[in-house]
Amino acid sequence: MILYFVTIILLVLIAPLLLSYIKATKMMLLFKRPISIFQGYRDFSKLMHKETIISEETSAITTYAPFLVLSPLLIVMFFLPPVVHGSYYVSFVDAFTITGLISLSTFFLMLLGLDSASAFGGMGSSREAFISALVEPAMVLTIFSVSLMAGNLGVGQAGVNLAQHFPQEHMASFLFAGISFFILLMAENGRIPVDNPETHLELTMVHEAMILDLTGVYLAIIETASSIKFVIFASLFASLFMPFGLEFTAPIAFLIFIVKLFFIATLVALLEVNTAKLRLFKIPNLLGLAIVFAFLSLITFYVLGA
Amino acid sequence: MFQFDTLSLVFVALIILGAIPNLFYSSGYLPHIERKTHYLLHYFTFIFSMLGVVVSANALVFLFFWEIMSLSSWQLILTEPKDKSTINAARFYFLMTHFGFLFLLLFFLIVTNGDLEISFAQMKTVAAAFTYPTMLFFFLILGFLSKAGAVPVHVWLPYAHPAAPSPVSALMSGVMLKVAIYGMFRFLFDVLYPWPLQWGTFILIIGSVTALTGILYALAERDIKALLANSSIENIGIILIAFGMGMIFDTLGLEILSTFSFIAAIFHVFNHMGFKSLLFMGAGSILHQTHTKDLEKFGGLIKSMPVTAFTFLFAAMSITALPPTNGFLSEWMIFQSILSSSTIANAMTLKLALPFALFALAMTGGLAIATFVKAYGITFLGLHRSTNAKHAKEVNFLMQSGMILMALFVASLMLFAPQYLYFFDALMVSLGKTSVYAQIFPNGSLQMHSLGVNGGVVSPLILFAALVGVTSLLLFAYKAFNVKTRVHRSWACGYKTSAKTQYTATGFSGVMRRFFNWLYKPEEHISKQNLAGHETKFSDASYEVRIKPLFEVFIYDNIKKWVNITSYWVYRLAHFEQTRYPAMIFNLMLFILYSYRIFTHEIDWQSILIEMALMLMSLKILVIGEKK
Repeated sequence: MILYFVTIILLVLIAPLLLSYIKATKMMLLFKRPISIFQGYRDFSKLMHKETIISEETSAITTYAPFLVLSPLLIVMFFLPPVVHGSYYVSFVDAFTITGLISLSTFFLMLLGLDSASAFGGMGSSREAFISALVEPAMVLTIFSVSLMAGNLGVGQAGVNLAQHFPQEHMASFLFAGISFFILLMAENGRIPVDNPETHLELTMVHEAMILDLTGVYLAIIETASSIKFVIFASLFASLFMPFGLEFTAPIAFLIFIVKLFFIATLVALLEVNTAKLRLFKIPNLLGLAIVFAFLSLITFYVLGA
Repeated sequence: MFQFDTLSLVFVALIILGAIPNLFYSSGYLPHIERKTHYLLHYFTFIFSMLGVVVSANALVFLFFWEIMSLSSWQLILTEPKDKSTINAARFYFLMTHFGFLFLLLFFLIVTNGDLEISFAQMKTVAAAFTYPTMLFFFLILGFLSKAGAVPVHVWLPYAHPAAPSPVSALMSGVMLKVAIYGMFRFLFDVLYPWPLQWGTFILIIGSVTALTGILYALAERDIKALLANSSIENIGIILIAFGMGMIFDTLGLEILSTFSFIAAIFHVFNHMGFKSLLFMGAGSILHQTHTKDLEKFGGLIKSMPVTAFTFLFAAMSITALPPTNGFLSEWMIFQSILSSSTIANAMTLKLALPFALFALAMTGGLAIATFVKAYGITFLGLHRSTNAKHAKEVNFLMQSGMILMALFVASLMLFAPQYLYFFDALMVSLGKTSVYAQIFPNGSLQMHSLGVNGGVVSPLILFAALVGVTSLLLFAYKAFNVKTRVHRSWACGYKTSAKTQYTATGFSGVMRRFFNWLYKPEEHISKQNLAGHETKFSDASYEVRIKPLFEVFIYDNIKKWVNITSYWVYRLAHFEQTRYPAMIFNLMLFILYSYRIFTHEIDWQSILIEMALMLMSLKILVIGEKK
């Protein structure tokens, strides 16, 4: 139980670090002077000391939505697979609940965008709705495929099962599911082929457009939510598709897990540097690719048993 | 004449639960209806006829109440026949509902052997002896699904439901569609059991297509009530997916999974009754205050209509299947039942095909979120887009209490899901299935288990408590932090924010409309006043887009065209002409008698040929051979 809570606190704490690390890596690869990897914490503390400015056009939605964006994601943190062998994990929640909670968070984020009566917010919400509608089927199909290989739909149990018995006989479908999930990781977190988190140009904004009117603590909450979302996806990827290193003692296993998270972050940074942002109407092609890989994974599992 | 078994009682409960909040709402709405007697008479007839349908014990009573139900709802659509569109919608509804009635009548004439007063159990023996059970199945589903609004017989629904007064729309979408689902349960279980595999697959395909079509048209809609009507089509599709899965599992002998899927279907029937009634009541309140159904004319209503806004938000969250609402639970069950298809042993093709149903259901879920973010965000958030929306006030107390009662019912479905599922389980047991309640809730009612091999678990109450707990903790921390708050206007690149600079409903769905261009085939009208011949500078511009449903264009318009052409030729041939007119009637009667013979007896190619030759001869002699 202690290990369980330590894991959650640790993951929440390193969430801003991971996003700053991605940004720093990208800057270094572009021959810029990189920001400090602790920039995320600095931004957070700076925002916490600012006053909140609420737009006069807004309603009760803006007052409460930031909390409703963050709280489902915080709850998901409790449902993640264990990092250390023998640690407690939640067995009464399955993958659909997790996608549902993430959708709940996105739902309120989209309402937040529409609440400020600015064209930016509406544009961001509209695009986010489009992208998340297309992400949904790929996500469900990938979950299905992984649950077949892990023998359980519950995320925690699936992580444990995969670590104990790596599905070597199903390597092909495992790989396809992994590719599909990685595309979803990029899409759900608004990384470069789908959305550019660093720009404020109306042609490219998705996530930033929805939160354009927020400042101070509210902005800090939303930024925390988006970094936690990244950690959720990265640790799901680490537990489900890189299921090794759980059998060591606690500190070493933690270390291995964090190395895995940084490996995923590096991968994301490399992909971001090497690809251009897709036009909005090309994004379905990328997500279609994820859907096709998820289908392929299911078909290879059923037909070839591989 | 009447029977009160578990299936009937569950649907009686559904109708009563749907009707009580509606009565409150309706009495609040009544002062704004001009023909009060007409409205009240048909309103109560409508409710009682629905009750009559679900408790009737023989075909005659069933068909009688079914017809009363159709006619009273048809008259209710015509409560305020001011627009031409309302009259057209009512006419279309009348046509489609009798189209369905015709097939139901055919079905009952065959399975009762002409004696309409025999019981359902006796019908089963007649149906078992009938040579073409699949034909019976098609009659049955054409009859019921044309009422429920499944593709391709759904086209009347987005016209008829919005045209009715709002309490009636709530009843029609929330309850009447479910009466059709009752018919499917009643006659597929009591009369046409057992089912071949193809029937279940067919229902599943219809369900998937219906769900996707419904939500795609809902997304592009800008009339709020038509949006909700299209979303009803989607939800009927979701119910049919669960129903089809149940049928498939039943045929394959997976008894437990089959029961699970049927329970999911019934659960979604109840859920959809709750939130769709609530949404229609909310839309009705808005229509009542702003006198328009156009989404583009709303905006900012959350400030003036808080009760409507929050009940609508709750219903929208539930219909988009967000945890921990009841909509999420039933959709979770349906997902689980498709996922348990991995245990199917020896039907590889089916196993490979079922992920497509999963795809359709997941896509529907994603698009539903987009649809209801649009419906909610454009209606209630931002600035008011018209003076009507500016002067809107909260509706009267009776209407509010109707909405609150319905919201309480939806909340009870969320909080007491295990108790509801217990009754649905008892219902399935009464239909001859094994009980699965103990397997869904093996350790207490907190955890809900799926019955598949690699099945999942969900714990709605824990989730609800966690969400409330964490959110209030965060809020409390924010309050304790004592942050200074300042109010300022929205940043709009230095310009002033105004109602016109907001995103519109058309704009919101613009991305989707462009991506699904092949389906929508939108007609766009752009007009602008260019300034001094510049392409890009204009003083005034307008953009309008119209979408005509694909099915209507392809199927209905073509049928209309060909019926017109044929009737023109028949008219040319025989209109008011002494010998040809009776000759046509004679030929028609021959045709009907021969068709009846073919339907009820085995197909015998020789006699068909002889009959065709006879008909051709009589046609030649009586109609064409006659010379002036």
